[in-house]
Amino acid sequence: MSRVQNFALITVAVLLTASPAPAHHSFAMFDQSKAVTLQGTVKDFRWSNPHVFIQLLVKTDSGNEEEWSIEMTSPEHLARVGWKPGAVKPGDKVTLVIHPMRDGSTGGQYISGTGPDGPFAGSPTPNGEGK
Amino acid sequence: MTLRRFALAAATLLGCVASLGASTGMPDWSGQWENVGATPDASGGFNQSLDQVLTRMQWGPPNRPELQARVDKIVASERKRLEAISRGEDPGGVDVKACTFGFPLVMLDSPLMFEILPTPKETTLIFSSREIRHVYTDGRAHTPKDELWATPWGDSIGHWEGQTLVIDTIAVKSPFASSESEGVAVMAFGDVEGEQTVTILSSQAHFIERIRMLDKDHLEDQMTVIDPNNLTAPWHVNRTYERVTHIHRMVYEDCEGEERNPVVNGRFTLAPPPSATPKPATAPNSAPSSPTTAPQ
Repeated sequence: MSRVQNFALITVAVLLTASPAPAHHSFAMFDQSKAVTLQGTVKDFRWSNPHVFIQLLVKTDSGNEEEWSIEMTSPEHLARVGWKPGAVKPGDKVTLVIHPMRDGSTGGQYISGTGPDGPFAGSPTPNGEGK
Repeated sequence: MTLRRFALAAATLLGCVASLGASTGMPDWSGQWENVGATPDASGGFNQSLDQVLTRMQWGPPNRPELQARVDKIVASERKRLEAISRGEDPGGVDVKACTFGFPLVMLDSPLMFEILPTPKETTLIFSSREIRHVYTDGRAHTPKDELWATPWGDSIGHWEGQTLVIDTIAVKSPFASSESEGVAVMAFGDVEGEQTVTILSSQAHFIERIRMLDKDHLEDQMTVIDPNNLTAPWHVNRTYERVTHIHRMVYEDCEGEERNPVVNGRFTLAPPPSATPKPATAPNSAPSSPTTAPQ
């Protein structure tokens, strides 16, 4: 399983003063010990700073539709591993592997994925490297 | 001037420009570079664990005993903090906009890509965080003390030894606001939000770097840190950079809209940004849509 670190806002706490800051970035809400596979339809691909999101519509067993928010890394980092702003389009049928939210809500951290044209760029390889 | 003569003149001019680099003896370090081993993946950042990073970096700064005791205490606290994060808790403390790494961290262990622009009188290093290092190679000395103050990137002068750029940097301070500790913290990053302080440098730290090309796709920075206040001996640490392969321009890594993880009841939550999908354009001369029927 790939090891990840949130670059966009690294929390550096102990050494530093406890000056208040309005911003919070963390991957703490994702359960890194679990990997969940989602199949669904892309509602939106939000190519935004500090991190990119895939909004995915997933059908539940009862036939209802849930919207999942899947968080990726930054646009700059994604571009460096081969992603483009139009890499995922609304309506695309995709399969995503994610670390799910700890609280059970419909969100997760992107690990890898496959779209209409095959595996997405930058998906971790078996040796753990992302390139 | 006939078209033919114009074309000939233009070609000659372009040839002169192209040969400028060769005539000045400057190396061609064009392109974008990234830290080997600190490259991101699509999921969020470094692939390597903190231990892997520490091993890879071969970091063993010769900290003075009193500093090492302080570092050990910090590391113990950092590990407690990481344990809290691993439980999904907000450990408190402070959140720092890491779009600014500062020197020397920006060279040692950052996932930023950067460009190097060597010219005879100055070499500029531009990072995707928009941090910039100016290295003056025009023969000047460091800024006089009465004109100098510390910054996160320091005061750098340099010279060329063949195709190796030798940089001398002083007057560095931490980019992170700090009241509990003075000095420049050097940290390793890895794993899931992992971080570990390896040393803290004093305001008297002096940095000497030797940057050279190893091959057409790799650069090396041999850094020596001299800090008699906090180190018992010069600290030697090497970094290697490789060419970025999938993008061939510099783009901005920024922290705008960073409030994506509001803390609720002591736990981080997820707040995706609003949709950037453009709304359908309104046709000219058409009547305004009713708010109740406007497409969302």
